[in-house]
Amino acid sequence: MITKTAWKNIWRNRVRSLVVIAAITIGIFGGVLAVGVMNGAIDQRINEVLDNEVAHIQLANKEFRANNDLEYSIENVDEIVAAIEENEEVEAVGEHLFVVGMANTARKSSGVNIIGINPEKEKELFGLHNELMPGTGDYFSDPDREELAYIGFDLAKNLNIIRYEINKKVIDELKKAEVPDEVISVINEYSGERFSNERSFKKEMRSALTGKQVSEYGSLILEKAQTFRPRAKFTLTFIDSHNHQTGGVFRVGGIYDIPNSMFESSQVFVREEILRRLVELPDDETHKIIVRLKDIENTKLITGNLKTEYPELEVLNWREIQPDIAMMSEMAEAFYGFFMVIILAALAFGIVNTMLMVVLERTKELGMLTAIGMNKKKVFRMIMTESVFLSLTGGLTGMIVSWIIITITSNQGIKLFSMQEGLEAMGFSAHIYPSITLEFFLIVTVLIIITGILSSVYPALKALKLDPADALRTE
Amino acid sequence: MKVLELNNVHKVYNTTHIEVHAVNGVNLDFEEGEFAAIVGPSGSGKTTLLNMIGGLDMPTEGKIVVNSTDLSTLKSSAIIDFRMRNIGFVFQSYNLIPVLTAKENVEFIMNLQKWPRKKKDARTMELLKAVGLADRIDSRPAQLSGGQQQRVAVARALASKPRFILADEPTANLDTKSTETLLDIMEKLNREENITFIFSTHDARVMKKARRVITLEDGKVVSDETR
Repeated sequence: MITKTAWKNIWRNRVRSLVVIAAITIGIFGGVLAVGVMNGAIDQRINEVLDNEVAHIQLANKEFRANNDLEYSIENVDEIVAAIEENEEVEAVGEHLFVVGMANTARKSSGVNIIGINPEKEKELFGLHNELMPGTGDYFSDPDREELAYIGFDLAKNLNIIRYEINKKVIDELKKAEVPDEVISVINEYSGERFSNERSFKKEMRSALTGKQVSEYGSLILEKAQTFRPRAKFTLTFIDSHNHQTGGVFRVGGIYDIPNSMFESSQVFVREEILRRLVELPDDETHKIIVRLKDIENTKLITGNLKTEYPELEVLNWREIQPDIAMMSEMAEAFYGFFMVIILAALAFGIVNTMLMVVLERTKELGMLTAIGMNKKKVFRMIMTESVFLSLTGGLTGMIVSWIIITITSNQGIKLFSMQEGLEAMGFSAHIYPSITLEFFLIVTVLIIITGILSSVYPALKALKLDPADALRTE
Repeated sequence: MKVLELNNVHKVYNTTHIEVHAVNGVNLDFEEGEFAAIVGPSGSGKTTLLNMIGGLDMPTEGKIVVNSTDLSTLKSSAIIDFRMRNIGFVFQSYNLIPVLTAKENVEFIMNLQKWPRKKKDARTMELLKAVGLADRIDSRPAQLSGGQQQRVAVARALASKPRFILADEPTANLDTKSTETLLDIMEKLNREENITFIFSTHDARVMKKARRVITLEDGKVVSDETR
């Protein structure tokens, strides 16, 4: 009876209850979506680190990380790799030869890390081969060419390997993408023109188009106008193991595109045997041994085991190599808590305020209920139940709305292209797939119930303090 | 049989250093089945006296004994329980629960007393029929006229078969026709169920119906007539 009456009571002032429920819903939805986006972005960044940049564990000479010097290599590599491969928890083990050098074209040069890899082994360790931009090459598949390099999109732009050109194909593609005629006619005026770099192309587009047109169609025009000369040549120069300057001419075997512009502009992958020959490093030496595990949960354990087995080497897991990412993940968890506390506090104040108004408005009725025999325990329970209903209705609506939106956006992603440059500079993708765990949903639901209960205590106590005779006298 | 005794009952309110004697040494007895009206001008202490009889307020001096129970000996929770089982209230402004239907309002006290559903339904229908609202059981208070609401309030007060009904100015907001209907119903229920009715009123129509009229002035009983 009390439950039924309490439920009916919250609909007594429909507008007020709906406003409170809407406020709770929006608050919870906003909080969950913000946490979901942040969680998704961090998860994507971690996956990016694990799949394309670092893998789970790396072994190196203890001096190597500080200097990146060729001479600080790992010896007896084959023996170590074979031993690590025997571990059942290990999925793949590979080597990276690592040389710091310069990448140069006729127009530009850029400092890079040149990484010597076994392309086939690399596919077992990393997923970077999957990030190959269509039409830019075939990774290291061409057996007739050894001096191939797999470079990042940003480095390709920096070296002017990527150019921009307006031609008939670009115009046709823009028309197909339903770009308005007035934009196409402006673009068409540049037909046949070539721009050697992104900056000059963007500058020209900004002067020709309105601000709104640039913000709406700028990225699409930029993407369609990109041209790439297959097998473009560039040189890599560096110091060999005898401290002599050396280098070689390489052709672009493919361009990878990942949401980390820093990595893209600095990491160049070449065949290990070519680089080894150029730097004249012995066959059984390398700079990094990369370990991919079957289960990320075992990272700490296997890292510990390897540290014990190879005390002469520096053994670091991905959290130690990229402490910023690990810290971000931990900070995010603390932030989620803080964020939810703010939302729940707002929810609590909303409920306290509403229920105090309810008690004030219904003073006479509460007096009547006590007069006809409703004891204080039941009055207390009725007010508490009303508050819990109010918070649960809003909270659950918020959770359901959040769940639906998160489900949709976790499949389609949220595109933050206006923030693309900034996000990618920090290693984050501008296409974020929000993610929330079931555990988080359950915790938030329980917290909403607890908040509803706690915030109803004060108004309910107020109702208990009413003197029935005084309450009945109120108008 | 005596159901209510008031022995030298006083009620003094302290309002900003001034003592107000709302009830001043009242001695009264009520027998089972009485249909009594407490009358008097505004401020004469009618409502205060009724509140004290109902245990909503406590006398500053004197004793109120209901069915051999001295109310001053009961704790506040016990008084609420005592009221629920022994006293029915009818208020001037009906005081129905607006979100509940007529049927649910009447059932409310029976629900508090955890009556079985069948018994509860039968009693609710019996009372709503008795007050002439059998066809309005699903109406909410806002859908009923003032007179109809007060009839629902009377049915609610009688629901748990209390020993007596305290009605504070029950006809003050009603027109003549509604007043007469309500008084007829209350008189009929008083006779049929032998429940004691005590009204506070200054409505002449109520006084005319009452079989006993107690007049209060300045908190004192100045006359007590039984017809």
